Amino acid sequence: MASMLKDWGQFTFEDKWPCMRPIILKLLKQEPVTQGEWQDLFFSVHLVCLENEKGPPKLRDALKEDIMDFIKQAQQRVLAHQEEQALLKAYIAEWGKFFTQCNYLPTPFRQLETSLAGKTSSTPQKRNQPDESIVRKLMLDSWNQSIFGEIKQRLQDSAMRLVRAERNGEAFDSQLVIGVRESYVNLCSNTTDKLQIYRENFEAAYIEATEAFYWVKAPEQLSLHGVENYMRYAEAKLREEELRAQKYLEPNSASVQLLTECCVRVLVATFKPAILAECPRMIQHHQTDKLRLMLKLMDRVPEGVGPMLRDLEEHIANAGLADMMAAVDVITQDSEKYVERLLDLFRRFSTLVKEAFDDDPRFLTARDKAYKLVVNDATVFRLELPPRQGAGVGTAVVNSKPNNNNNGQPESKCPELLANYCDMLLRKTPLSKKLTSDEIESKLRDVLLVLKYVQNKDVFMRYHKAHLTRRLILDTSADSEKEENMVEWLREVGMPADYVNKLARMFQDIKVSQDLNQQFKEQCRAAIADSINIKILNAGAWARGSERVTVSLPLQLEDYIPEVEDFYKKKHSGRKLQWYHHMSNGTITFSNQVGRFDVDVTTFQMAVLFAWNQRPMEKISYENLRLATELPDPELRRTLCSLCAFPKLKRQLLLVDPPAHSPKDFAHDSRFWVNQEFAIVKNGKLQKRGKINLIGRLQLSTERSKEEDNQSIVQLRILRVQEAIIKILKMRKKINNAQLQTELVDILKNMFLPSKKMIKEQIEWLIEHKYIRRHDEDINTFVYMA
Amino acid sequence: MADSEQDNTDRGDGDNLKSDKLFTLKKWNAVAMWSWDVECDTCAICRVQVMDACLRCQAESKKDFYGRQDCVVVWGECNHSFHYCCMSLWVKQNNRCPLCQQEWSIQRMGK
Ligand SMILES: [Zn+2]
Ligand SMILES: [Zn+2]
Ligand SMILES: [Zn+2]
Repeated sequence: MASMLKDWGQFTFEDKWPCMRPIILKLLKQEPVTQGEWQDLFFSVHLVCLENEKGPPKLRDALKEDIMDFIKQAQQRVLAHQEEQALLKAYIAEWGKFFTQCNYLPTPFRQLETSLAGKTSSTPQKRNQPDESIVRKLMLDSWNQSIFGEIKQRLQDSAMRLVRAERNGEAFDSQLVIGVRESYVNLCSNTTDKLQIYRENFEAAYIEATEAFYWVKAPEQLSLHGVENYMRYAEAKLREEELRAQKYLEPNSASVQLLTECCVRVLVATFKPAILAECPRMIQHHQTDKLRLMLKLMDRVPEGVGPMLRDLEEHIANAGLADMMAAVDVITQDSEKYVERLLDLFRRFSTLVKEAFDDDPRFLTARDKAYKLVVNDATVFRLELPPRQGAGVGTAVVNSKPNNNNNGQPESKCPELLANYCDMLLRKTPLSKKLTSDEIESKLRDVLLVLKYVQNKDVFMRYHKAHLTRRLILDTSADSEKEENMVEWLREVGMPADYVNKLARMFQDIKVSQDLNQQFKEQCRAAIADSINIKILNAGAWARGSERVTVSLPLQLEDYIPEVEDFYKKKHSGRKLQWYHHMSNGTITFSNQVGRFDVDVTTFQMAVLFAWNQRPMEKISYENLRLATELPDPELRRTLCSLCAFPKLKRQLLLVDPPAHSPKDFAHDSRFWVNQEFAIVKNGKLQKRGKINLIGRLQLSTERSKEEDNQSIVQLRILRVQEAIIKILKMRKKINNAQLQTELVDILKNMFLPSKKMIKEQIEWLIEHKYIRRHDEDINTFVYMA
Repeated sequence: MADSEQDNTDRGDGDNLKSDKLFTLKKWNAVAMWSWDVECDTCAICRVQVMDACLRCQAESKKDFYGRQDCVVVWGECNHSFHYCCMSLWVKQNNRCPLCQQEWSIQRMGK
């Protein structure tokens, strides 16, 4: 092998060049080359490189000269065209051929390149990528220096004119533009930034031309066709220009993005105010397609979406409140209608957000914010909460009398109405009987949906618990499974755990009580078992802080009491029992001259009615009834009113003289007697038998406790605020005012929104009572005192 | 319905025999509340109301402690009362009443 190499080493450049040259020229001209010629060229290059160190430079110079010659001829062919389009076409044709050859011609000269780089031939040539080929670089540099350098401005100008023509709807061979770009990219001699020349010339010219084009076109379109059509135009052009840029601009560079940004600037940003000005009207008219388009455009410019969000919020708040105002007569009277109205609004706004904005989270947030405003608005109806003074931690004692003309904040009545509506669905009512189980469930879910937006959930909880208590004690739940599901749903929507736990505990306790009632009936005398049911409940779960009312029971009932108490004492020890007669109730049979009727009554009503058993035909004065029943004045008035002015009855059980229609109408000497003509009137006909229920809404709440309800909501809030402040400070030790406010709202948000005023007052109270103090150096920082 | 009414009046309760009273009782649903017969509502050891389960019981079985009857109250000879759970842990450390420091001995247990 070594000797053979030595033999071949005899050949000089001058020997080999004459047979190499024709092949090289054929290649440059893209004429066909045979397999043999192609291989000969490889071999000749090899031999020249083996000759001595003079061979390779000679070969390179000769090659360069031929390449230059070829390029000069090409240049003459191209420049023969004067007309721009023709020039561009000729250039692209020549360039196309030449560029192809740039990939072939260097191949046989690999070894030459290695030799020139000062390496021996036999080592592997890793660096010899086509891109880095010296021959290739030689070819491209030569092309650049001669032909392209001279006419590139003309080429570029005519390429841009072609693009402009395309924008105006003319078709042409896109390769003409692409070829110019390729020339720029491939002819760059800056190896660290190969796109430099392209960027500074072609890309810049392209973007500039685009901008100039739309700078004129866009305002024309807007003034000619109006905003709605303009938005469609802008959107179409943005898409079109992006596609065009992908075709004509260099991929793998930032070009397309730069161009797109430029288009957004010219087509959208410039007209932002004009476009946004149409937003409120489109929202109002539910023009979802147009809004969708607007969002698409506005999403591309800074501060574009913000105004749309504000428009949506404003619309929801205004339209929502206006709608509620318009229906104020109906909805203040009827919680079902109120809730349905609210839900209807919610669905309307949600549909808008879905159809116009595809449930974009930013718009959902705006919807929520505005809907919250509607739900918590206090102009339609309000719950007046009394103002209050500070109360001690752990005590719910009212320190001062409520003062109603002081600045108690009115709150929306929504939570109360929601709770009422819930009650109508969960209780045996005409409404709940009319609905299927699934319908009730979905309506309860609706309530929970609205509840999410209620600021003062504590009010809802209070009413909901009162209703539930009533349903459980009166056994009026329509479906006990649904009742318990509701508790879990309340937990799921984030109601405070301690509250939900209390409800769950009531269900557990009522079951314990049912078992107890069963055992009682098995053990006591048959006569008693038939006529009494007992509910002995855990005071902690049901009646914390609630007030009892005493009554002198009818003798028969009074007799049952010791029986129950004896039974209970045998079962349990260490417990005391308190009778809650204002919660108890029963069924009595009423016989008069007309017929016999079963009447459901409260125990108070029973106590009043039984006063006539000894003297059926007598008229009894208010004063004597008071002595007989020992009921407190307000309870007796309320009870009597329910017996002689029960709303739904055509004929009342009791008659009174002088006539009265409300509890305050009774005088001490008002006289009452049993209506011997009493009968149930159904469809205008008298019924001699039948069952009626006079319990109504009487149960559970005593007159006083009702008045105190709202008062205690406020008291409870004060306590919660105090507890939360202490909790935060215990953890943080030290905290500034702003952060304290934020954390407080966060802790309390599932119950109510504490007012700044309330927070301030409670901080003062806690400082005064030395739970916390102000920081020595900063009065707006609070420090925990152990 | 008519039958049961008939039964009720026929069987009578002695004073019902003469019957035709204006009003006769058919069914009474009586409601009472029970609570531990204690002087202080709050357990001094865990600071929870004695009517609620003690802190440990609440923490152990968050979900189903509500119906439990077994977190009962215990009274000492000194008449002070606590959750039984709380007191049985307390006496392991210190066999005195946390409130009055008398030696602890159980007077009675709630049931
Ligand atoms: Zn305890
Ligand atoms: Zn316990
Ligand atoms: Zn003691």
